[in-house]
Amino acid sequence: MTDEHNDHPHVAYWRIFGYLCIFTVASVIADVMDLKAMYNITVLSAVVLLISCFKASYVLRYFMHLKFEGGWKYIILLPTVVLALALPFALASDIGIHYYDVEVPQQNTLLEKEIEQIAEQKAEDEHHHGDEPAEHGGGH
Amino acid sequence: METVQNGLEEELMSHQSGHPPLKMGIDIPNGKLGMWLFLGTEIMFFTAFIGSYIVLRIGSEGWPTDTNVTHIRIWAGGTNTFVLICSSVAVVFALEGMRSKNFQLARKWLFVTLILSFVFLGIKSYEYYGKFDHNILPGRIPETNSQALAFTARDLRAATGIDPQTEKLKRMETQMAELQKKGGKTELLQKRIDAQKKVVDEITPIANKVVAINDRVKAGTIELGLAAEHGKDAPQGHSAAETSDTKKPATEHPAQEAGKSTMVTEVARLHKENPEVFGSVQVPHPIKYGNLFASCYFIMTGFHAIHVLVGMAMFILLLSYGSKLSSQHEVFVENAGLYWHFVDLVWIFLFPLLYII
Repeated sequence: MTDEHNDHPHVAYWRIFGYLCIFTVASVIADVMDLKAMYNITVLSAVVLLISCFKASYVLRYFMHLKFEGGWKYIILLPTVVLALALPFALASDIGIHYYDVEVPQQNTLLEKEIEQIAEQKAEDEHHHGDEPAEHGGGH
Repeated sequence: METVQNGLEEELMSHQSGHPPLKMGIDIPNGKLGMWLFLGTEIMFFTAFIGSYIVLRIGSEGWPTDTNVTHIRIWAGGTNTFVLICSSVAVVFALEGMRSKNFQLARKWLFVTLILSFVFLGIKSYEYYGKFDHNILPGRIPETNSQALAFTARDLRAATGIDPQTEKLKRMETQMAELQKKGGKTELLQKRIDAQKKVVDEITPIANKVVAINDRVKAGTIELGLAAEHGKDAPQGHSAAETSDTKKPATEHPAQEAGKSTMVTEVARLHKENPEVFGSVQVPHPIKYGNLFASCYFIMTGFHAIHVLVGMAMFILLLSYGSKLSSQHEVFVENAGLYWHFVDLVWIFLFPLLYII
């Protein structure tokens, strides 16, 4: 414990802060430049996510002092990376590649049923009152 | 085998006799190790959401990205990123203050962190307000034209209030029947029934207008007729009636020229005829994958916001020690800092994923 101050040498925190700000501005510029229109969404994603990884590494190494920690950091943190990578890969083949067709197939059956009921009720009411036959006679 | 065991025992014995007692485990405070283990589970927690989101996003051709549709504001996300980075720096200086025994300084930086977390939540709630205001909520967004028609039909009927009022009348009538069986006094109830009947009679002609529209929805003889279909210039997500009134005179509408009214024109007509009843009803724009987008957005930013709240609770607790803050709280400050940096870390990835891509 006594040599903890040696373990955590004074980091130039403001400089790290400056880097983080520059990276943030860079990703906003990537958005404003509309890289999606210039190239495609893959380029944009690659650029901004790479910037994020740089930012994350600065936060992890300097703010969270991981740079100065012992080997235990790998035992705790590396297994989590396995999940982070395995999940998208596992889902990619089904969800990522053949998900829905171009037309969204979900139907709001509840609402349609509701509308049907209303129409039926109306037809019933008209029948009850003995009015002229309803124009949508095929209701039942 | 035996010799190895003997050797080990000897070694342990020698430690016990000669050296100070051996400290087991890793040479960091137990609390800090616990925090890092917890952060390990937290990484898996958030990467599960983020990973699923990425896959769903890739798999959904035509994901809503137009900021007029999604009401995603890059300036808000960018500002929040900056705010969290600032607060991360502040919490780092708080820990430095604790290490150099300058507890006054540590408290100052903890206070700055807390203020910045309030700023973050303020901007976040402004964004949430925009989403709620435009009904960008999971399960509330029509994804196709037919769903938009059905949603509008439902909203129109709900606006008339015919269903609850009729039910109320029916309940009263059954009450009346029971009372008559028992032979009790019916005058008072009869008065109430008459009043309720009047209410229903007043609503009925208005509700009948909606029934006519509902029939057309059911028969498929009504189009949505949204201006947005004619070009990208029309702002999406706003009231269609509003846009058709302001941007396009009704006579210019192609459907109108063909002598066919659309849902938009029908709703506009109802707005004019009974503004007090239908004023709040809007024709929603169908947003493909809008519900999935809203689910992903709210689950990720929502859980992140909950984490921010937990961090704030830690800082408030630390600040509540006041001048009693001392070296014994150093590990607590370090752990709160680690947690807070993690919250920042999650946002660093959410910002590009939700606001830029």
